[in-house]
Amino acid sequence: MIVTTQINGAALVANVTAAEANLMVADAFKADLASLIDDGNKLIVVNFAAVIYVDSSFLGALVSGLKYAMANQAEIVVAGLNKDIFGLFQLIRLDKAFKIFTTVDEAAKSR
Amino acid sequence: MPVSKKILLVDDNRLVLEMMGKALDKEGFYCMKAISAAAALEILIKERPDLILSDYHMPDVNGFQFRQNLIDSEFRDIPFMFLTSEVDNKLMLEGINLDAVDYILKDTPIPVIVTKIDNFLSTVREQHERTLQELSKAAIALNLNSIPKKIPVVKGFDIDFWHKPYQNYPGGDFIDFITINDRYTFVVLGDVMGKKWGAWYFSFGFLSYIRAAVRICVAEGNYATKSILQKINSVVYHDPVVSDVLSSLSLLMIDAECGEIKYSGAGDLPLLYYDASVGQSRQITSSGMLLGLMIDGDFDEIVIKLETGYKLYVLTDGIIDFEGTDGKRTDYNTFAQAIQSFFNQPFTAFKNSAFLKDKTANHIDDCSLIYIEKKSDDSNNTN
Repeated sequence: MIVTTQINGAALVANVTAAEANLMVADAFKADLASLIDDGNKLIVVNFAAVIYVDSSFLGALVSGLKYAMANQAEIVVAGLNKDIFGLFQLIRLDKAFKIFTTVDEAAKSR
Repeated sequence: MPVSKKILLVDDNRLVLEMMGKALDKEGFYCMKAISAAAALEILIKERPDLILSDYHMPDVNGFQFRQNLIDSEFRDIPFMFLTSEVDNKLMLEGINLDAVDYILKDTPIPVIVTKIDNFLSTVREQHERTLQELSKAAIALNLNSIPKKIPVVKGFDIDFWHKPYQNYPGGDFIDFITINDRYTFVVLGDVMGKKWGAWYFSFGFLSYIRAAVRICVAEGNYATKSILQKINSVVYHDPVVSDVLSSLSLLMIDAECGEIKYSGAGDLPLLYYDASVGQSRQITSSGMLLGLMIDGDFDEIVIKLETGYKLYVLTDGIIDFEGTDGKRTDYNTFAQAIQSFFNQPFTAFKNSAFLKDKTANHIDDCSLIYIEKKSDDSNNTN
């Protein structure tokens, strides 16, 4: 697991620990998301609070996780985006695909 | 390509860690230090070294167990050497048999250790380059190009592009110009989310679908970029081979007769539009989501009217990634500002600019930029 996890209410929080979420960790992240969904988690909050930069490989893994979640009646939301990453989500319309929350606590209450 | 020299040192003895780290740093290596196997794993999750140099005798998890754990993990292919004082022949053999590339004794003089590491990393690099050459040869033989060799000639327009693959590997960006006739030309710029070969391979899948969708729609008399994009999205969404891989796409159709461009985008960056009449630029943002993400990609179609001297820039995200002293960041505005002083110059001036030179030297992803300028109808193309 390259993410650390904790339960928060009805949600499972997956903390991305890499400051630079890039190609090197993208495949492992994708596998982590898939296994969390396979474990039956219905609301996964991906917490970006420790992340400074994301590249498109990592976003690809996140989006691929979202597709897998939807196929399994689960939901992935994101929290803790810094200004640049939030800007990037908006630029490429990922804000339409993901619910975005300021904090993990807000995200965990979203379902 | 320079030899990368990032080493993860693992030893439970802080003194050894510091001394060896200092000696290797002095020789130009970049050392990360871990006091235990568990600490090493924490580092590996965040940063990938070119080589792991580990002690055998460590409490909790010894060097062999650590190696075995790595073999069973996603870090199995990181080269591993033992650096230990254990001289028992049987144990040494056991260590080597754990797919370790070498077993070095701690009393080996530092210059010898450095040479061994250097030689090993050079061999890895040479093999890597050979593989790269073979793959490139195969790609050329199959006539696989995700970047066009020719720029189309469109009456009343200047078209050009600039592209740099990430670390000179073919990558996930793809560009195509599809000339239907003297009047209609399609411009395609996409970015498969990923880098290097994995993304490159999929870029052909996407390009094939895009070319087919454009040709089929045009044959049916349908020139709407929105409906073409919907067709592409639907195929990608349902195809298990590419549906797990996401790609952005900017699809433009130049109508040379009307001097108009129709534009639809899928999760792409806003176009930068330069209005020569007011000497200002603005972003044009489409509404569509990444290809294959949702069955309904929420695509729109924007008609862009270009007058003489107006310019349009289509780009992928590599060009808005910047590396500063405080780390990497993604910032569209920095790019928009950098290009501002080139609005009154030919595109070649921007191609030769310090901004793009810096991108070539320090870029962190594939970079692509397509340039479209409206000329007066009776002018010759000057690119």
